[in-house]
Amino acid sequence: MPNSFAWGRSYIIIGVATDPMAQTPFTNDIRMLRFLAGEMTQGDLGDKVGVTRQTIAAIEQGKYSPSLEVAFRIAHVFGKPLEEVFQWQQD
Amino acid sequence: MSFREKIHWIALVGLLSAFGWYFLNYPWEIANSPKGMYTAVWMLLPVTIIFLVPMVAGAAFFAIRSPKDADLKEDEREKGIHLRGTHLAYYPLAIGVQLNIFVLINGFNYGYAVTILIATLVIAELIRVGSQLYYYRRGY
Repeated sequence: MPNSFAWGRSYIIIGVATDPMAQTPFTNDIRMLRFLAGEMTQGDLGDKVGVTRQTIAAIEQGKYSPSLEVAFRIAHVFGKPLEEVFQWQQD
Repeated sequence: MSFREKIHWIALVGLLSAFGWYFLNYPWEIANSPKGMYTAVWMLLPVTIIFLVPMVAGAAFFAIRSPKDADLKEDEREKGIHLRGTHLAYYPLAIGVQLNIFVLINGFNYGYAVTILIATLVIAELIRVGSQLYYYRRGY
């Protein structure tokens, strides 16, 4: 597992866990996947998916739960199945 | 900060400035008379100017500064934010209308009726814009 993967995953989990505001019950690897996709910006991903940069930022930080369509679109941009981008955390 | 969020901030400042001026300067001593009603209606002219001028100037400024952001269509998160804000604003609107019916029945007419209707609209708008800004800041 490359370092960037571990760093990306742990960053997101910490980010989600420390924010007391609205949180999604899942984590995601969007930040790491953007990094691996040639340091794609949030704005570039937003353009490809059809949402604003702020919405991508909110999804990455676990503050906004995207619709199934947007989740699939994000996974499609990275060429990954949905469960490799979003992981359910809350039991 | 997105283009729409900036516009919301301008709207909030505009609402507070315009209607703050209105309520601080309205001649309450003549409120329950025909003159009080005409004064309330007349005062809406400067209120509209105070509200609209910064809105138009701000929207034009931010649209020229970042035209790409201004052209972006509302996405699902923003639609959700707007729906939540509008939903919250419904309650003060409904309460205000009932309050207005109550004061009309009890003999407070003219300027009071117009001002209570304006206050109802302003409070509903402040709750709508304020809650939408809260959701924008929070993420959703």
